[in-house]
Amino acid sequence: MAGDPSPQRPRNDDEAGKGANQGYLALSYLIGGIAVWGLIGWLIDRWLDTGGVATGLGVILGAAGGIYLLVRRMGA
Amino acid sequence: MSSPAVGLLASPFPPGVGEFFLPSLWEAAGPWLTKFTLYAWVAVGIIMVFFLVAYRNPKLVPTKTQWMAESIYGFARDGIATPMIGHEGVRFAPYFATLFCFILLTNLWSIFPFVQISPNTHIAFPIVLAVISYVMFNYLGIRRHGALKYFKTALIPPAPWYILPLLIPIEFASTFIFRPVTLALRLFANMFAGHMILLVFTLGGFALLESSSWFIKPLSLASWAMTIALTFLEALVILLQAYVFVVLTASYITGALAEEH
Repeated sequence: MAGDPSPQRPRNDDEAGKGANQGYLALSYLIGGIAVWGLIGWLIDRWLDTGGVATGLGVILGAAGGIYLLVRRMGA
Repeated sequence: MSSPAVGLLASPFPPGVGEFFLPSLWEAAGPWLTKFTLYAWVAVGIIMVFFLVAYRNPKLVPTKTQWMAESIYGFARDGIATPMIGHEGVRFAPYFATLFCFILLTNLWSIFPFVQISPNTHIAFPIVLAVISYVMFNYLGIRRHGALKYFKTALIPPAPWYILPLLIPIEFASTFIFRPVTLALRLFANMFAGHMILLVFTLGGFALLESSSWFIKPLSLASWAMTIALTFLEALVILLQAYVFVVLTASYITGALAEEH
């Protein structure tokens, strides 16, 4: 790369950067879904005193949402 | 037991978070001049002097210094900016090269002999770097698309309307909360844990040496051998974290500039 004056040289190693990027994106959706809706469920639990049911439902919903987003954004 | 490394023995064996809060180097400056700020400034100085010297008198056939500087910049441009952002990524290459050098050098302090602690073990340094990336990709996205369209494409995924209430909070959290938080936390935690591991094995060696049993004393050599082995692992982590930070910044910019997801 050094000493090569042509900046538009086609490269084939862009897969490395894209791979790391997609991996972190997938992780952030999966954990993000569970964390966000788990938190919302937990707040509802505290509010309505439902003893953890809302947290559980939130986590499941969030996981489903995260997976849906993952497939939607990164799948075929 | 009096050993040559009394200074290290002053630390109690299970090393704690206290090891990361070093005293001020100069009373009058207070917390503004500690080893961490000093090493950060030294790293900045090294980068500035290196690139100034390397490009002071550029030759068509580069000297060794110029070749190194060009390799680093070329890596940021042709290895990160252009493949990830595309043609217009070239204008971000100087920032990426600077960011990469800064993280690499500040991280390198963690294995530099007799320094062996990185400013990035304090989360304040990664936080500032993450905030720069965060403001940068949001600003670029808003400037390119306008605030309304930028937040619309960022928050509303292509999905039927009845799932959107479920998805929008996830999109919001993953783009505007988790991105900067994980960016800062990843760098900080890697450097913190690396320093902690090296401390455990170094101080653990002294703890074993102080044992009353002669069967246990030699084990300290194994502990120190682990320190050396883990220092090489740490070298890998240092390089990888600098690279990952820049790659993720580039990918966030790509996402902000993209027409649609």
